[in-house]
Amino acid sequence: MTAPSKVLLDIRHISVAATDAQSTTPLVHDVSLQVNSGETLAIVGESGSGKTLTFLAALGIAPNNLKVTSGEVLFQGDDLTKLNPNELRKRRGTAISMVFQDPLSALNPVFSIGTQIIEVLRAHLPLTKAQARARAIELLERVHIPDPARRIDDYPHQFSGGMRQRALIAMAIALEPKVLIADEPTTALDVTVQAQVLELLSELREETGMALVLITHDLGLVARHADRVAVFYAGRVVEQATVQALFHEPRHPYTVSLFRTIPRLDSPTNMALTPISGQPPNLAQLPEGCPFAPRCYLAKPDCGSIQVKLRDTTNHEHLSACQYWPDVQQAS
Amino acid sequence: MSNPAPTPLLELKNICKTFNSTTSWLGRPSKGVQAVDDATLSLYPNETLGLVGETGSGKSTLGRIALRLIEPSSGTVMFEGQDITHLSARVLREKRQRMQMVFQDPYGSLDPRMSVDRLVSEPLDVHNIAYAERQEKMQAALRQVGLDPSLAHRYPHEFSGGQRQRIGIARAMVLDPALLVLDEPVSALDVSIQAQVLNLLHEIQTRTGVSYLFIAHDLSVVRHISHRVAVMYLGRIVEIGTRDAIYNRPKHPYTVSLLSAVPIPDPDLERARKRIPLIGEIGSANNTPSGCRFHPRCPRAREVAQQSSLAKQKVGRIEIPMICATQDPALVGSEREHACACHFPHDTL
Amino acid sequence: MTTSFEQQRLDRQKRRKATLRRFTSHPSLMIGTVILILLIAVALAAPWLAPYSPTRTSLVNTLQDVSWAHPLGTDQFGRDVLSRLIHGTRVSLLVAFWVVTLSLIIGTIVGGIAGFFGGWIDRSINVVNDILMAFPGFLLALAIVATQGSSLESVIIAVSIAYTPRVTAVMRSVALTIRPRPFIEASRSIGMTSTRILFRHVIPNALPPVIVVATLSAASAILAEAGLSFLGLGVRPPIPTWGNIIADGQASITTNPLISISSGLCIAAMVIALNLIGDGLRDALDPQMRRQTTKIL
Repeated sequence: MTAPSKVLLDIRHISVAATDAQSTTPLVHDVSLQVNSGETLAIVGESGSGKTLTFLAALGIAPNNLKVTSGEVLFQGDDLTKLNPNELRKRRGTAISMVFQDPLSALNPVFSIGTQIIEVLRAHLPLTKAQARARAIELLERVHIPDPARRIDDYPHQFSGGMRQRALIAMAIALEPKVLIADEPTTALDVTVQAQVLELLSELREETGMALVLITHDLGLVARHADRVAVFYAGRVVEQATVQALFHEPRHPYTVSLFRTIPRLDSPTNMALTPISGQPPNLAQLPEGCPFAPRCYLAKPDCGSIQVKLRDTTNHEHLSACQYWPDVQQAS
Repeated sequence: MSNPAPTPLLELKNICKTFNSTTSWLGRPSKGVQAVDDATLSLYPNETLGLVGETGSGKSTLGRIALRLIEPSSGTVMFEGQDITHLSARVLREKRQRMQMVFQDPYGSLDPRMSVDRLVSEPLDVHNIAYAERQEKMQAALRQVGLDPSLAHRYPHEFSGGQRQRIGIARAMVLDPALLVLDEPVSALDVSIQAQVLNLLHEIQTRTGVSYLFIAHDLSVVRHISHRVAVMYLGRIVEIGTRDAIYNRPKHPYTVSLLSAVPIPDPDLERARKRIPLIGEIGSANNTPSGCRFHPRCPRAREVAQQSSLAKQKVGRIEIPMICATQDPALVGSEREHACACHFPHDTL
Repeated sequence: MTTSFEQQRLDRQKRRKATLRRFTSHPSLMIGTVILILLIAVALAAPWLAPYSPTRTSLVNTLQDVSWAHPLGTDQFGRDVLSRLIHGTRVSLLVAFWVVTLSLIIGTIVGGIAGFFGGWIDRSINVVNDILMAFPGFLLALAIVATQGSSLESVIIAVSIAYTPRVTAVMRSVALTIRPRPFIEASRSIGMTSTRILFRHVIPNALPPVIVVATLSAASAILAEAGLSFLGLGVRPPIPTWGNIIADGQASITTNPLISISSGLCIAAMVIALNLIGDGLRDALDPQMRRQTTKIL
C-alpha cells in the first residue's frame, strides 16, 4: 500500500444526544474518526457503545429524537451536518453508502430484488428501465449471485440469508460510493457464509479503491480484515490504532479486557475466561471521570474525577483515552 | 479406553423428525421438511456435549426432542435408563423435574408480567413442592446464579440481558435437574457478559454435577465449555467425539471448513491461515441431496476425485467420486472418542 | 442499607407513580375518564339529584315548555324530562357495565382457548364466531330481543351476545401472537399443563388490547340499547332510558325539541367518553411494550 491515501470522511468531535421531555442523554460524546481511501476501518464495540449511531448521525439518518449536538462531518469539502436533507440524500447512496445488519428487514418483502436495485439506480442516474435492469444484473453478478439474469426477479424471501446480504451489498455499491459502511454485516449469518460475504467486501474494496468501514463486535473479523481499528465504549472512542498495534500492544484497559474475555480457537482450553466485572454502562447515568473506571482492573483513585480525552500515545497513529496507558499490560 | 462406559444420562437413538407443512392452498400436500435424519447420540452424567451446526442443521430441533418438547417422528429417547419416547403427558410432566431447558432469548423467555420471584418459583409450584420449602429453594437458586434474592420482587424488564439469562438459568436449576438443554444461551448477550454466564455455567456443573446439552453455532464458545462435541449438517450428525479430537483432528470435510471459517483474534495468524471455502450455500432441508448430503459443496470430494482412480460421477460441472453421490455414509467410530460419517475422512487416503 | 421489605415498598411506590403518570399524561384518556366519572356520579345520586320522580305522571302538566320548575319541560304524560334523563343514566351505565364484563369474561376465555389450542377447537369456535360477527351488531341484538321479549335483562343479554364476538376475535388473534413466544415454550418445558399456561401466561399478557376492544364495544352497546329502546323493543316503560326518551320526544319535536336533543346529547357524551377511554387506553398501554423492546443503537 504505497499509494498515498487521502482522508475521505472526516468526523470531528461529533456528539449525539437523545432528548425527550424529561432529560438529555448523551449517546455519543466527542468522537473523531477519519476514513481514508482504500483502507478498511473497523469499529469495535458492544451494543449501546455508540458505534452505529455515530455513522447514522453522520449520514443524517439517525432516529428522529437523536440530534447531533456538536461537531462536524467533512466529506468532499462539505460539512454533512450543515447540509439540508435533499443535498444529504444526494450524497447518500452515491458517495457514501451503508449496509445494515439484518438483510431481511432491510429489504422490502413485496418488491423483487431487481425492482429495489433498479429503484436505487434510477433515483440517482438518468437511466432507462432497460439500462437500469442490465446494470442491476451486472451488479448481482459482481456480488457472485449465481444465475443473476433469472434471480433478479426473485423476492427477498426466496433468497437465503447470505444471498440477501449480497443483494444489499449490490444495492450499496450500485452507485460506486467512495465510502461503504457495513454495520454488523454478518451477525445474522452462518460462519461459513460470513467468511464469504467479508471476502466479497474486501474484493470490492480492492477493485474500486473505496474505503470500507466495518462496524462489528467480532474481534476475529477485525483481525482478518481491518487495517485500522477504533474501539468504542459508552459513546466514546477509547482506543484507535493500526490493527497490528491494537492486537499486539493494546493501550486501553477495556481493549485488554475484551481480549481476555472472549473465547478463541487458539487459546489453551484450560484457560479460564476473565469476565469484565460489573454491568454495561448506563448512558443516562454515567459516573464522573472515565466511564470505564467502575469496571477497570487498573483504575486509580483519580480516574473517577478527571475528564479523559483521546490522546496520542507514542505516535499519532496510536491513540488512547486512558491516562495510564503505559501501565496497560500486554494481552497474553 | 479400558474402563467400561457408564450408563448414559440421555440417549437419542435413530431420531428422525419431519415437519409436515400443511397442504398448500392449491390442495397439494408438500413433502415436508426433514429437520433431523437418523440422529444418534448419548450424553453422560456430569458432562457437557456441545451440539454445533449452522442454519438448517437441526440442532435446535434435536435439543427439543431430547426433552420431548417436540415429538420425534421416529426413534427412541432414553432418559436415566428409561424409555420416555411414548410416556403419557402426565407421567412425562413428572419426569420434567429432572430435565430442563435454558433458552436463547433473555428478553422473550421470561413472562414480562410476572415478577422474578414468581418466575423462579413457578416450577416448584407446578410440581407441588411443599409450600414451606418454596421460598427457600427459590432464593437459593437465585443466589446460585449470583443474583440478590432481595431484588426478586422486580420484573424482568428491570434487569439487564445478562441478568435475565441468569434468571432463566435459576428457573431451570431450581428443581435440581440432572440434564439441562441450553439452546444458544449466550448468543444474544454482549461479549463482556458472555464470559460471566459461561463461567457461571461451568461453576454450576462443578457444584451439582448437572449435564449440559449445549447447542450453539459459535465454535469458539462451544470449545470452551464442552467435553465432547457433535457437528450437525442438514439434519445429520456428521462428526462426534471428544473436544480435542474434533477441534485438533477434525475428520469430516464440513468440520474442517467450518473451523477454517472461524476468525481468530490474531492478525498475523489470521492472514496466514488458509481458508477452505465451501462452494455455494447450505441447501434446504426439504430437498436434501442424494447420497452424502454434503457432496454438492464438499471440497474433499473434488480433491479425491482428482487424485484417485475411483469411479466418478458428474455433478453439474464437477466430478466427484460416485460413492459420494449415491451412498449416504454411516457414522463410523466410537462416539465417545471420535466418529465420523464420511467416505473419505481427512486422515485417511 | 434498606432491607428487602423496605426495598419492595419503595419499588412498589415508584412503580405505582410511574403507572399513574402514564395514564394522567394522556389528555383524551383523562377527559374520557372525567366524563365517565361524572356520569357514574349522576347515576348513583339519581334519587337525590332528580327533582321529581321519573315515573310520576301528571295529566295536568303534560307537554309543558321549558321553565324553572321543569328545566327541560315535561313529556306527554306530564313526567319531568330532566328527572327521567337523570335516571336514564342508570340504565345506560348498567348496560355498559354488563356488556364490558360479560364480553370480557366470555370473549377472553373463548378467544384464548381458540387461539392457544388451535386445531379443530379453533376452527369450530371460529365458525360460530364468524357467523355471529357477520350480522350487524344492532340487528343481532334486535333479533334476540324480539324472541326473548323486551326487558332490561333481555336487552343486556342480547347486546352482550351481539358484541362479544369482536372481543373473542381480538383475543384469539392476540393469543396467536403470544403462543410462539419463548416464555410460553419455557412454561411447557417446566411441565405446566396447557390450561394452566393459558390462564397464567397467555391471558394476562393478552389483556391490554382486549380491554381496549371491550371498552369500545361498550360504546356500541349503548348505542344499540338506545336504538332498541327507541324502537320500543328495549326496556319496558315506564323505566326511563335515553333511547325511549328520544322516542317520546318525537311527538313534541317541533314544540319542545329539547327532549330529544338532550337525551341524544347524553348518549353522545357517554359514547364519546367510552371512545376516548378506549383510544387512550390503547395508547397508554401500548408504548410500555414498545419502550421495553426498543434497543438503542
